[in-house]
Amino acid sequence: MLSLIDAGFTRAPSLAPFSDRLGPGELLAIVGPNGAGKSTLLSLLSGYRRPERGNVCLDDKSLSWWAPAELARRRALVAQKLTLGFDWPVHELVALGSEASPEEVETVLAMLDLEPLAERGALSLSGGEAQRVMIARALCQLGLGHAASVPVGSVLLLDEPTSALDIGQQQRLMRLLRQLAERQRLAVACVLHDLNLAARYAHRVWLLERGRRIASGLPTEVLSPSVLARVFDAELEVRTRRGDGSPLVVLAP
Amino acid sequence: MSRAFASVLPRRRNAGVSKVRKATPVPVRVLAALALAVLAALLIAAMSGSVGLSPRVLLGEWPTPLAWQVWWQLRLPRLLLAALVGAMLAGSGAAMQGLFRNPLADPTLLGLASGAGLAVALWIVLFDGAAGAFGLYGQFLAGFLGALGVCVMVFTLGERQHGQETLFTLLLAGLAINTLAGAMGGVMAFIASDEQLRQLSLWGMGSLSHALWSATLGALIGILPALWWLLRCARGLDLLQLGELTAHGAGLDAPRLKRRVVVATALGVGLCVALAGIIGFLGLLVPHCLRLWLGPGHRLLLPASMLGGALLLIVADTLARTLASPAEIPVGLLTSLLGGPYFLWLLLKRRTRC
Repeated sequence: MLSLIDAGFTRAPSLAPFSDRLGPGELLAIVGPNGAGKSTLLSLLSGYRRPERGNVCLDDKSLSWWAPAELARRRALVAQKLTLGFDWPVHELVALGSEASPEEVETVLAMLDLEPLAERGALSLSGGEAQRVMIARALCQLGLGHAASVPVGSVLLLDEPTSALDIGQQQRLMRLLRQLAERQRLAVACVLHDLNLAARYAHRVWLLERGRRIASGLPTEVLSPSVLARVFDAELEVRTRRGDGSPLVVLAP
Repeated sequence: MSRAFASVLPRRRNAGVSKVRKATPVPVRVLAALALAVLAALLIAAMSGSVGLSPRVLLGEWPTPLAWQVWWQLRLPRLLLAALVGAMLAGSGAAMQGLFRNPLADPTLLGLASGAGLAVALWIVLFDGAAGAFGLYGQFLAGFLGALGVCVMVFTLGERQHGQETLFTLLLAGLAINTLAGAMGGVMAFIASDEQLRQLSLWGMGSLSHALWSATLGALIGILPALWWLLRCARGLDLLQLGELTAHGAGLDAPRLKRRVVVATALGVGLCVALAGIIGFLGLLVPHCLRLWLGPGHRLLLPASMLGGALLLIVADTLARTLASPAEIPVGLLTSLLGGPYFLWLLLKRRTRC
């Protein structure tokens, strides 16, 4: 259970303090226009930046209380981009940050359809492949490749994990994240630009605007046409998807 | 809904059909082979020189007092010093490259060595540091402080920029520091007394020729802990390759790691320069070549670089002693003469990213 207790930043990039919880089994989508503070919020949730007000806690203990190595077993982060100085083989890269065995690495690679790339150098990967490799690494860090892994309420934070993926990969990744949340009791927070992915797969959505969280709730509640049109300054239409009734955002004709 | 990702639930695999094989050689075997090579080089180097020594002399059977003196007072401390300096230069090169996440980082290119050199020159000339009982140790301290100063400066510069820019800034800063240190060194030489000038030029060429036990002991006391410290940074350096944000998420205290590497490198390289002058290219070349062979993981690369550096400097120093015997070629000259062209050839051969 990751809890924000009136936590935020006063200095730039600022983030108005708010309180909320991110529980096991939940896939949370963080959406908002460019520069709204989504990545800033993620660095707050991960403990990379300490809040200037309030506190961020994992299991009711402040993130700064945790020993870095202990925390790393419970919380992993996937950054927007993979920046490497040297050409790591994919299977070694995936094992960075954990003492994962080759079998665990293989399991995690299989989860993300990356098995054929295991021996490739990471610098030769395409953007989408690199993105999935970084996600595999984070899963490995949380011990999810282990055959006997027990759900311990870990937290997975992802910054635009679908930005370089094709539409099929986007779908498969979001489905995987939702399954991980539900079956492995993971708390997943995911910054997304694609509102439809958020609407279709997330349990809950946070909408950010200029450093404030202005809405939180079910996708159907948050993704209302009037709010979206105002926040994104775009001409949108929100329809209802046949089947699950989730919102479907389309460009206004 | 087309095909889905393979099952979320981890599954067991049949034992022995793992498709993921280690592409790198077994670490222990590589390190053992390198260590053996270092030992062999030590043995051969111990026997060759202007006074040849037989293996029996090394085992303690001294036919003449001269043989004993050559072995115990000249050759042994010198070999140890060569091994330590080589290990330190190459090890710190590997650590610096890991820290900057850039294969071009190296104590000489970044100006660390010349900063230490300038500090030593200042110490010798302005404070008449070569004289007195603390001369040698003052020289160590000056080297350390000089290297530390440059290290902190370069690092602050590097922190303020991102991506490709960093590399250019760092290389330009290194160039500026090298030029500045060279000029200041010239000024020092200009105002130095004859005795100081002799000291300066003796030390400045990059040579192990004045290795006595006093110097070697200093190296043992300073360089061994620096090496040990760097080795303990290996896992952190691996994590740092993910970028600072992700590395933090994976449990790395990046500021602490940086401080450790910077201090260990400054201590080690400062001592190396104070003891043996500026020996170029070792810190760049050894880790680079080994990385092509062993991959970028620091847990293997760091110790392998240290052994490789020791090996290379022992060989180079033996060549420096014997090629023009009884005269000596400064070993720094030799490493640069051999290392430069080899490095260029390496770059030409691999057109891909290094």
